[in-house]
Amino acid sequence: MARRAHRTSSPVAWWGGLALIVALGAGGALVFQKGSDPYRTVEALKPQDYLENANSLRGNIYQLEGVIASSLGSSPEKGRLFSLRTSYGDKDWPLPVLLPPGYRDINLQKGQRYRMKVKVNETGFLEIEEMTKS
Amino acid sequence: MRSTGFGVFFRVAFVREGGFSWRVLALESVELTIPSLEAPLLGGITLCLPGGHFGAVVGPSGCGKSTLLKTIAGILPHTGGTIRWRGRDLNERDLDPHELGYVPQFTCAQPRLTVGENLRYATRLRRTGGAKEIEEVVQRSEEETGLSELHDRRAGVLSGGQLRRLGLAMELTTNPSLLLADEVTSGLDPKSEEEITVLLAHLARQPGRLVLLVTHSLRFLEQYDSVTVLTGGRLAYAAHPGELTSYFQVSSPEEIYPALAEREPEQWAEDWVTSPAELGFAIEAEVEDLASQLLTGEKADSSPLPGFWSQAQTWFFRRLKLFSRDRTQAFLQLALLLVFPAVVAVFAYQGLPAVRNMTLGSDTDVIQQLRETLAFTVQSSRTGTLVSGLAMFQVILLALMGSNNSAREVVGDRAILEKEKLAGLRPGAALAGMAAFLFLLVLVQSAWMTLFVRAVCQFPGDLGSQFLPFALVTAAITSLCLAISSWTSSSEQASLGSLYLVGFQLPLSGAILALPEFLGWLTRPLISAYWAWSGYLQTLKDTRFYDLVRAITETPLAGSQLSLWILSLHLGFGLLLAYLGIRRSDWR
Repeated sequence: MARRAHRTSSPVAWWGGLALIVALGAGGALVFQKGSDPYRTVEALKPQDYLENANSLRGNIYQLEGVIASSLGSSPEKGRLFSLRTSYGDKDWPLPVLLPPGYRDINLQKGQRYRMKVKVNETGFLEIEEMTKS
Repeated sequence: MRSTGFGVFFRVAFVREGGFSWRVLALESVELTIPSLEAPLLGGITLCLPGGHFGAVVGPSGCGKSTLLKTIAGILPHTGGTIRWRGRDLNERDLDPHELGYVPQFTCAQPRLTVGENLRYATRLRRTGGAKEIEEVVQRSEEETGLSELHDRRAGVLSGGQLRRLGLAMELTTNPSLLLADEVTSGLDPKSEEEITVLLAHLARQPGRLVLLVTHSLRFLEQYDSVTVLTGGRLAYAAHPGELTSYFQVSSPEEIYPALAEREPEQWAEDWVTSPAELGFAIEAEVEDLASQLLTGEKADSSPLPGFWSQAQTWFFRRLKLFSRDRTQAFLQLALLLVFPAVVAVFAYQGLPAVRNMTLGSDTDVIQQLRETLAFTVQSSRTGTLVSGLAMFQVILLALMGSNNSAREVVGDRAILEKEKLAGLRPGAALAGMAAFLFLLVLVQSAWMTLFVRAVCQFPGDLGSQFLPFALVTAAITSLCLAISSWTSSSEQASLGSLYLVGFQLPLSGAILALPEFLGWLTRPLISAYWAWSGYLQTLKDTRFYDLVRAITETPLAGSQLSLWILSLHLGFGLLLAYLGIRRSDWR
């Protein structure tokens, strides 16, 4: 056994400590990234499928991410309709998204990027159920 | 070289029969070799010394005197042979902290503390007891070493001799039975040298206590009970000083060193082993010594070490007191605290500019849309850059403050730290005390930066959420620089390492220029500034400023929780490295 003044740390302790730190970092990153993704279990919408035949997707819920491009119209009863520019593959796709009347407090501006959970409603529009800035 | 029949029988029987157990200190063929050197630093040292004894270890410069003392203390690990203390092999069970007093050549007192304060803190680190008991120990140590009248004098203004006394007094707080003094009389005037030597001789009179003094001086030989002469790492003589001149066949002690140089160390060692020189210890003295060991054995071991938190607390309060007395350091900290936030606020002292939005309607013509888009791009560039820049500026300045906090924390006082560890200070307790002190600085710095810049620049967002990434990045950089300080061997190296650590934070964060993706994946986990910058910007998520920053930066922004988690890991990693660095032995 080494004298008290000359004890050293074993390589096992070194590598073990480093491995623990890396594991905690990676594990924590995974947990926080996955955990902070509210839409992780929601399928991503394929713009091409939607634009080809929106009716076939009626009632389905998807996740979507894009930039607010312009306002297409508004109505106190139906809500506000926006054009959302979304990227899929290597193309940009414009999609209509409907913000229900219940979201009056949200001040959408051109150029803002959002992630949203949308439902294809009966009329074929993408109705926003949840949204968060990305 | 004289010989007597009794001496031959005594020593040979002693060595051959392995009768070391009744000696307080016994070295059996102790060797110390290092791979890079052909000759051993210590070669085959065999030595036996009793308690109630004052021995001198002498020899020319570089002969291994201090090496021998450090080997006995355990500071240097011997590579061969055995060292026994009261019969036990020190490799199997080392000296307890209270058994050993080691007075190094350097001063181990804090110059900004008084004699009384140095002794009080040293005692609190080494023994349990209430305030009254601690003061009694301090008083006793001062009386033993003649420092009572200097109780309130700062150590920084003491003379060389007084400092050596203080070093001795600090060791006497635990009443050690083995007191090793390494060149404590070197560099002193003859009067001070005599006073210290007489003091050591007096301390050796305590039953069971062995005092060994390393000195190159051959004056005051009459004070020593034995003299051990080393040459080239070999033992040339170890017996009564009265036999010294006759053994070396010189007319005065001053001629011994030239005589040593005339032959090889191996020849002197061989002569000593075969020469039947009298050891100089009478049997009656040995019986008395043995009895005294039995009586004092319990006493020397009776004072337990203070607990972990007690030591941490002592370290913390001592550190606080040192800080309060270091005007330069306190002024520098205050200057950084006041100037840095002001420098940040200068860039937006009129507040953040209002954001003009683009028209959301689709009924404007194309030219108008293009004009709006261009204006928005310019605004994004200016305002987004301003907001992102202010956030990163605060982070970098906090990182600078963090590095200033701790870059020299360990390395600056490494010698004192090693000394205290030898006396029983737990490395973890020292770290806890340092961390508590540094945490105070971190708290004040990050809180003031957050509050001041927020108040002047009118940053929106939640105050608490903005304070957290700033506090964590300051703490992380502080802990990483503390780790650097604990692994480097000079203040200059530590400062340079800390400078590089902070210097790379900005370019590798991606806040100014986006890194190539593969490089970003590699480096971002390691860059505290990135996580603090991301975490801070997330607090602006509900504002247009966030959109503008997102428009101008290609570097992805990490979420708040993840940012805080990674910063906490950086902090933990720094503390772990610092602990390992403090724990390792680094005597110089």
